[in-house]
Amino acid sequence: MHIGKTTDLQRREFLRRAMIMSGYGLAAPLVSTLGLVGAASAAGTPTDYRALVCVFLYGGNDYGNTLIPYDQPSYDAYSAIRLTLATARDQLAGTVLKPSVALPNSRVMALAPTLAPLMPIFNAGHLAVMLNVGNLVQPTTLAQYKANTVPLPPRLFSHADQQTEWQTSGPSSVITGWGGRIADLVMGANTYPTFSSVNVTSNAVFMAGKKANQYQMSSSGPVAINGLSRTIYGSSSVPSALRALITSPRNQWLEQDINAIASRSIDAQATSSAALAAVPPFATPFDSTNSLAKQLQTVARMIAARKALGAGRQVFFVSMGGFDLHDSLAAKQPGLLAGLASALSSFHDTTVELGVANQVTSFTASDFGRTLSSNGDGADHGWGSHHLVMGGAVNGGRFYGVAPDVSVNGPDDVGQGRLLPTTGVDQLASTLGKWMGVSDTDITTVVPQISNYSTRNLGFMTA
Amino acid sequence: MAMTKQRAHVLPQGMTMSEVLDPGVASTAAAGTDRPLPSPPPPSRAGSSPAALATALLGAAALAGCGGGAGLNAPPVTAGSGPAPAPAPSAPQPTQAQAARFLGQAGFAANSTDMGTITSTGYQRWLDNQFAMAVVKPSAWSWVQAQAVKNTQAYLDFSIWRRLISSPDQLRQRVVLALSEIFVISTGQLNGVTDPASLAAAFWDTLEQNAFGTFRQLLQAVSLSGAMGSFLNMRGSIKVNPKTGGQPDENYAREVMQLFTIGLVQLNPDGTSKLDANKKEIYTYAQEQVTAFAAVLTGWNFDLAKGVAQADDPGFATRPMVNDPTKFSTGDKDVLGTAIPASVDGPTALGMALDVLSNHPNNGPFVGRQLIQHLVSSNPSPAYVSRVSAVFNNNGKGVRGDMRAVINAVLMDPEARTAPQGLANGKLREPIVRFVQWARTFGLASPEGLWDIGNLSDPGSRLGQSPLRAPSVFNFFAPDYVPSNSKLGDNAITAPEFQIYTETTVAGYLNFMQSVIQYGLGGGTSGSVTGSKSSCTPNYAGELTYASDPASLVARYNLLLAGGGLGADTIATITDAVTNVKVDSTNPNPGLNNRVWAAIFLVMAAPDYLIQQ
Repeated sequence: MHIGKTTDLQRREFLRRAMIMSGYGLAAPLVSTLGLVGAASAAGTPTDYRALVCVFLYGGNDYGNTLIPYDQPSYDAYSAIRLTLATARDQLAGTVLKPSVALPNSRVMALAPTLAPLMPIFNAGHLAVMLNVGNLVQPTTLAQYKANTVPLPPRLFSHADQQTEWQTSGPSSVITGWGGRIADLVMGANTYPTFSSVNVTSNAVFMAGKKANQYQMSSSGPVAINGLSRTIYGSSSVPSALRALITSPRNQWLEQDINAIASRSIDAQATSSAALAAVPPFATPFDSTNSLAKQLQTVARMIAARKALGAGRQVFFVSMGGFDLHDSLAAKQPGLLAGLASALSSFHDTTVELGVANQVTSFTASDFGRTLSSNGDGADHGWGSHHLVMGGAVNGGRFYGVAPDVSVNGPDDVGQGRLLPTTGVDQLASTLGKWMGVSDTDITTVVPQISNYSTRNLGFMTA
Repeated sequence: MAMTKQRAHVLPQGMTMSEVLDPGVASTAAAGTDRPLPSPPPPSRAGSSPAALATALLGAAALAGCGGGAGLNAPPVTAGSGPAPAPAPSAPQPTQAQAARFLGQAGFAANSTDMGTITSTGYQRWLDNQFAMAVVKPSAWSWVQAQAVKNTQAYLDFSIWRRLISSPDQLRQRVVLALSEIFVISTGQLNGVTDPASLAAAFWDTLEQNAFGTFRQLLQAVSLSGAMGSFLNMRGSIKVNPKTGGQPDENYAREVMQLFTIGLVQLNPDGTSKLDANKKEIYTYAQEQVTAFAAVLTGWNFDLAKGVAQADDPGFATRPMVNDPTKFSTGDKDVLGTAIPASVDGPTALGMALDVLSNHPNNGPFVGRQLIQHLVSSNPSPAYVSRVSAVFNNNGKGVRGDMRAVINAVLMDPEARTAPQGLANGKLREPIVRFVQWARTFGLASPEGLWDIGNLSDPGSRLGQSPLRAPSVFNFFAPDYVPSNSKLGDNAITAPEFQIYTETTVAGYLNFMQSVIQYGLGGGTSGSVTGSKSSCTPNYAGELTYASDPASLVARYNLLLAGGGLGADTIATITDAVTNVKVDSTNPNPGLNNRVWAAIFLVMAAPDYLIQQ
């Protein structure tokens, strides 16, 4: 578990191993694409391990049926607005949340019935519910929104733009995300900087840093390039030619960048597959038919291999899609949430099994929430939404933030139940970044807009 | 603007646009380039330089194409001919390498017939021929219907691969692929459909039928297609329902503006954003306008008689959706400030709305720039976008949104026809295009006619991309994607296809091609539904002759696959490797086959192939 400074010895060892793995010694082009760590790091040199896992729900998860008002007056209001989309109250008995800190005004909330696998984690205090989080530039009141007197996130209600906004905490032109920027600041804790930001699903700007690359592996782990390791087409000269072609430095920028990616693919696969192969199977089962569970299982295997990989601070990214339910919301969302709950509970149980539950924090994110009002069979693009934060270091079993009024065109929405967020994504990011070891000074590098808020730490992490 | 207007009105009376464009562009493109002499069939390959050799290899085919090409109504125009009824180009015809490079933008593969047409009669003649080709039958939908088993999504994949690989109209197929990545549907995400394969295949047909018409026609055909109705929920969106609290669905209203027609911010004709007095982007619409527009797009459903199941009338997939007046929103409506009175019915209201969207000044730069990015280069200059926008606005005959003219302008622009110089030029060939190029170049055939090439979306073992299977309406990659922490990111260079070029997909692609080049695919090796051995196989019979001379083999693939774009270092590396592949003089074919496979694989792995200039 102890990961100290990268020593000269480690550095030499790394070089030696890299040469062995790349198979042909010093002539290897771009041999050090995994990079080496500078001894001095702004984040200091932590001696423990911490991992942050972003679970992105693509399409905009419907908040209204994820966390359902349960006290009778609120439920009645919910039911009157949602009509055919409403979940029946008697189905909620098993998922009514009993938080350690009660909500004001006798409000009671229940998780969607298919999120039931998360109840034990909530009740154990390892799952917190973030109420009405969303993209903001600064704290914004409904009056300010209506009068257009404060800056707002650009391109509200658009999928791609609000995904980008969530992930970058900045305008769409920004090409780094706050996960990657956290990785930039904590990568000094890692022997291999490449494994500071590991994406187990498709490309996401969240994971891109200024220094940290988002390293992508498949949901079943790193993929080897077969043509490099064997005689192919009856020849051993083809593999060496292939290696030279795809790893040589190039002058042309596009060519240079694809060769950098190929080089990183080769080096990182060689390093991580060896480490992963040594990880014993987990006792905790993962649903092999569940894509998110498969991704999180691979994340868990990377975490299990942290010592072999010399990892001290890592950011991971996983995702599931299908949440853009303009149609068939009541029919389809329960199944999606069941898949989410299954995957999250398997992952949490595995971190307990590995003895790292206190060192791994996962959180959900999504494009936006949806309208509370129905379009007949679904709900349309909204803004604020409720989210989950999970892990042994989470001060869970309770809510954070403000429970929105259950209404349309009420005090908390900008129309049709599109929530005006009362907690900014920047505040969530700042709290998580601090837990990862980012200093109070550096946090403005991670989320520049945090300077617009008086509360930088939402208090949901225990340390 | 002045320049673009001038161009739009430059047509002399009695001349077609192609006649005007061809000579001008040809002179630009050919300036400073070597043109091979009209090529007599070479006596032998011995001693030829790679470039000359490549030219020679195709010489016979070129002459054949010029002499006997169907659909050529005029004799080839040769350089130096004097004034004639048909305007003579003032510049030499394209070289083999130029023709191959052009075909990499306008099509998929540099086959000998197309190369011959271009080198003997010029780019424009080839384009005119391609534009004139009728849609090839049977269509994607008809083909799916003819299969014994239909209601599995795999048949969508088979059907589209069949079109992309075997259809002779490669310009149309290439443009339709591009359009399918702008007007995106995703086969696995069609709502409320019993046979998604047929509905998605019909969508491909819709794009084929409308690719060369007007933008307005294309927009309407897409909007009323069952596949788009199903994917973006216009199908079934109904007027406000006081009983259920139902509101019109906003999905299509938003995305048709954001992604298909105008985009989020006001654009200059050159594709740059207009800025207000505070140097901020100016939005094209706000949420209230999406909600208002959604009311217009109500009442639509599949064209099926009441009570008839989809399976009992599969032809509904080929018919535009129809409007139910009882479900169409009542009251006055508004689309981006244009009033639509309560008195007009659903179809009329839709038509008025599409008129508004297709007459927006953003259309030209918004659609034109994306077409350039899909076909030619990731970072077109503002002047290039501006020239294409001008043609979008007016094809020279007063017609707006003439897609044929727009595509012509994209491909014949001096910036497209001149091999670019510079560190940031070009584009990453997308995986589908690489694969289809290989398949077409080496005659991939499906003797059973099943084309059982499946869904190639898996990033770790296949292409990480498959037609009509984008993960969302935002396509496989975004037009404004800039990779971080890279040369491109440092310099703010747009590179859309890099969004799916990752540590995983680089390995998945190479592993897939390594196998496919050697064994073919289908029938068990790659997502097929039948059989145990490859059912789709390439034909390398004509290639083996070149394999005894590795330099000529590599020169051939440099031309056919890379459009002559490989650098000397790459050519040397591949040639050395191929030379080292042993050939047994007593039984040469296995070794020669190995050399062919190795040469193709290494060319298709090379950075100067992957980045198309």
